[in-house]
Amino acid sequence: MTSGLDTAGRFPAVTASFSSADRRYEPLEEILVRYTVELPPTAVVRSVERSILWYTEGKGEEDIGVHFFERITERAAVTEATAGSSFGARLPSSPLSYEGVIVKIRWCARVRLFFEEGRDFVSEHVFEVGHVPVATIVPS
Amino acid sequence: MSGEPRSNPFATRYTRPGAIPPLDATGQPLDVARLAEDIRRMRGLSIEGPHGTGKSTLLVAISAAFETAGQLGATVRLRQTRDAVTAIAAVGRAPSGSVVCLDGWNVLGSSALLVRLLARLRGVMLVVTSHRATGLPLVVRTSATLALLAAIVARLPDHGRSIEAADLADALGHHPSDLREALLELYDRFEERTRGGARG
Amino acid sequence: MRFPRFFAKKRGHRRTVSEVWGSVAEGLFHAGLVVAGLVFGGLLATGVAVPEWRINHRFVEAEAIVVGKGLARRTTARERTWEPAFRLRYETPAGPTEAWAFRGGPIATRARAVALLADVSLDATMPCWYDPDAPGTVVLARGYNWWMWLLTLLLPSALVGFGGAGLVRSIVGWRKSEERRAVTFRPIAAHPHPAIPSCDDLVNSPGTVLRFRLPTSGTEGWNLLGFGLFALLWNTVLTVLAVTAGLDLIGGRIDWLLLPILVPFAVVGITGIVMFVRQLVLTSAVGTTQLEISDHPLRPGGHYDVLLAQSGSGVFQNLTVTLELEEQATFRQGTDTRTERLVVWRSTVASWKDVQLAPGTRFEAKARLTLPATAMHSFVSEHNAVSWRVVVHGRAARWPAFSRGFPVVVHPVAPSPRHAEPQEMSL
Repeated sequence: MTSGLDTAGRFPAVTASFSSADRRYEPLEEILVRYTVELPPTAVVRSVERSILWYTEGKGEEDIGVHFFERITERAAVTEATAGSSFGARLPSSPLSYEGVIVKIRWCARVRLFFEEGRDFVSEHVFEVGHVPVATIVPS
Repeated sequence: MSGEPRSNPFATRYTRPGAIPPLDATGQPLDVARLAEDIRRMRGLSIEGPHGTGKSTLLVAISAAFETAGQLGATVRLRQTRDAVTAIAAVGRAPSGSVVCLDGWNVLGSSALLVRLLARLRGVMLVVTSHRATGLPLVVRTSATLALLAAIVARLPDHGRSIEAADLADALGHHPSDLREALLELYDRFEERTRGGARG
Repeated sequence: MRFPRFFAKKRGHRRTVSEVWGSVAEGLFHAGLVVAGLVFGGLLATGVAVPEWRINHRFVEAEAIVVGKGLARRTTARERTWEPAFRLRYETPAGPTEAWAFRGGPIATRARAVALLADVSLDATMPCWYDPDAPGTVVLARGYNWWMWLLTLLLPSALVGFGGAGLVRSIVGWRKSEERRAVTFRPIAAHPHPAIPSCDDLVNSPGTVLRFRLPTSGTEGWNLLGFGLFALLWNTVLTVLAVTAGLDLIGGRIDWLLLPILVPFAVVGITGIVMFVRQLVLTSAVGTTQLEISDHPLRPGGHYDVLLAQSGSGVFQNLTVTLELEEQATFRQGTDTRTERLVVWRSTVASWKDVQLAPGTRFEAKARLTLPATAMHSFVSEHNAVSWRVVVHGRAARWPAFSRGFPVVVHPVAPSPRHAEPQEMSL
C-alpha cells in the first residue's frame, strides 16, 4: 500500500522484498527488508524514515506499536537511502499477526519520504508474524 | 493464515476523518480552498450536522489547508465538558489572525461563550463542528444521503463485489442520519460474506 | 500439588472495575475542580486583583491635609477589629475634595489602633492617591498583596496547564509522521511480551486449593453500591423536602411549588429503593462465585486445572464453565466513545445440572481446561483488545440467569522452528 501526495504529476514508487520469500516470520526471528525507490524527476527528498511496526485494523480506532524506527536526515545518507537500501531488526515475541473479526493485527515495514516542499510519501509492506488461524464468527 | 491478509474496506483506517476527502450531500468533492477563503472573510465557520455525516472529515481538510498556509493555531478534539479548559488554552495561545479548529463544540456548553469571547478578543478565527447551531457567522450543514454513502464506498479499497447497492440502501435505512454507523454495518456484512457464518 | 490451606488469608489487591461508574466519578471530580477553580479565580480577580491593579496604575497622586481622625470598628461572628481612619482634604480637577481613608489595616487591639492615630496630628500633610473616575475614593498606601496575586495566577494557570497538557501532545505531533509520533510518546523499550496485558492483578491472590484465585470482572458489586448510594441520597433529599412541606402544612401554609415536586420525587425515591433491594436479594440469593486455577499466565496448548466454588441457596438448574476469546474495539462516535465486543471462540470446559445448595454451603468441583495449540495470545492496545476469560454461567431456580467472567492472560508459545500450515480452530 502506498499513499502520499503527488509531486510533478506522478507518485513515487517503492518496491520492497523480504528476507523470507513468503513474508512469514517467527517471533524473535531476524527480518531484513530491501527496497528500491523510483522518484519523479523533479522530486527532492529531504529526509527518510524507515520503520517496522504493527497496527490494528477493524472497527476500533487504529493503534500502532513501533518496533524499529530510523530517521535519516544527513544529506549523503538520504541520497543513499533514497537510491535503495535495506533495514531490519529482530522481531519481538508479540504481538503475533491476527486475523480477527472486529480486531486485526498486522505487521508491516514502512518507508516514508519527506520532500523539500513539505509533502511526504509513505509506502507500506505487510508481512506476517506467527501462525494464528483466522478467527471465526461464533453464534451466540 | 495463507495468502495476503484480507483487509475489510470498511475498517476505520479507511473511513476515519481525513482518509477520504470531504464530499457534499451529492457525493461531489467540497472546494476546501474556497471554504478557507470564506472563513478568512467571515472570520469563522461552523460545520453543523448529525453524527457521522462528515463534519470531522471536513474539519481535518480545513485544518490541513490552514496548516499549509501557516495560519493554523491549533486543532483540538473536544470529548468532555472538562475539555473546555483545553479549548480556552488553545485559543489563548494561538497567534492573532490564526485559525483554531475545535471538533465537538457542543460539549462546551456554557463555556462556549467564554471561548468565543476570548477568540474575538485575541483576533482568532474559530472553525468548529457541532450537532446544533453555534451562532458563528458562516455555516456548512452536513447530512447523510445515499449519494454521499455511495461516493464514500467508491473511494474505499475494493470490496470484491461483496457489497451491493441494496446493501448501501439497507445500511442507511437502518441508520438514516449516521453514515458512520452505516459504514460499520457494511463492515459486518463484508466480514460475514467473506468469512462465512452469521454474526451472533 | 499444594496441600489445601484451610486458613488461607486473602491477600493482594483485587479490583473490580466498572467503567461506567468510574467515568461518572471522574467526570464529576474534574467538573467540580474546574468549576471551583474558575469561581475562585473569578472572585480573586474581581474582588482583589482588579481593584489593586487600578490603585497602582490608575489612581492620581495628591497631597492631602488631615482634617479629622477616627476609628473604624468591624465586628464579625469570630472577632472584632479596629482600623485607623483619617479625614483628608485634597485637590482634584473638580476642586477641593474631602474623604475618609484607612491606614494600617485591621488591628486586633483598640489600644494599638488609638496609638497609631495619635502618631498623626491634625493639619499634617501626607501623600494620597485618589480614583480619577470617583474622586471621593482615596487611599493612603499602594502596593500589592503578592500572595493574593500568586493565587490569582496560580490556580487558573494550573487549570490551563492541566487542560493544556492534551494540547501539547497535539502540538508536538504536528508535522511528524505517525510512526515518529508513536515513538516520541511511547519510546521503544525492551519488554518480554509487548502489547500483552500484565497479569499482576491476576496472580496476587493465592487460592485455597489451587495455586491462584482469579478475580472477577463483573460489576455486580458496583451496581449494588451505585443503587444503594443513589437510593440513600435521593431519599434523604426527599425526606428533607417532605418534612419541610409537612411543617408548612402544620403551620397553616401550603407551598404550591414544593408539593407538586414531591410526587415525582417520591416515585423516583421508591423506585430507587426497590432497585437496590432487588439487586441486594439477587446478589445474596445467587451467592458468590469463586474460581481457582492451577497456573497463570496460560500458554497455547497448555492444560490447567480449575476449581469452581459456588455459594447460594436453592437449586441451580445448571452451572457451566466456558473458556472464551473476545475481541474489543473502541471507536469514537462523535463525542461519545463506544466499545464493541465480540466473542470469536468459545469452548465448554465443564457443566453440571440440578445442583442443590443449602444456605451456608458451597458447591465445589474441579475441571480440566485446555487451550488450543494455535490459540491467539492476549493483546491490549489503547483502543483494541483480544482477551481470554473463563466464564461461569448459571441459573438458579426462580432467579434470572447470571454470568460471571474471570479474565486470564495467555502468553504466546515459545518460538519454535517453522511448522506446517495451521489448522482452523473449531469448537
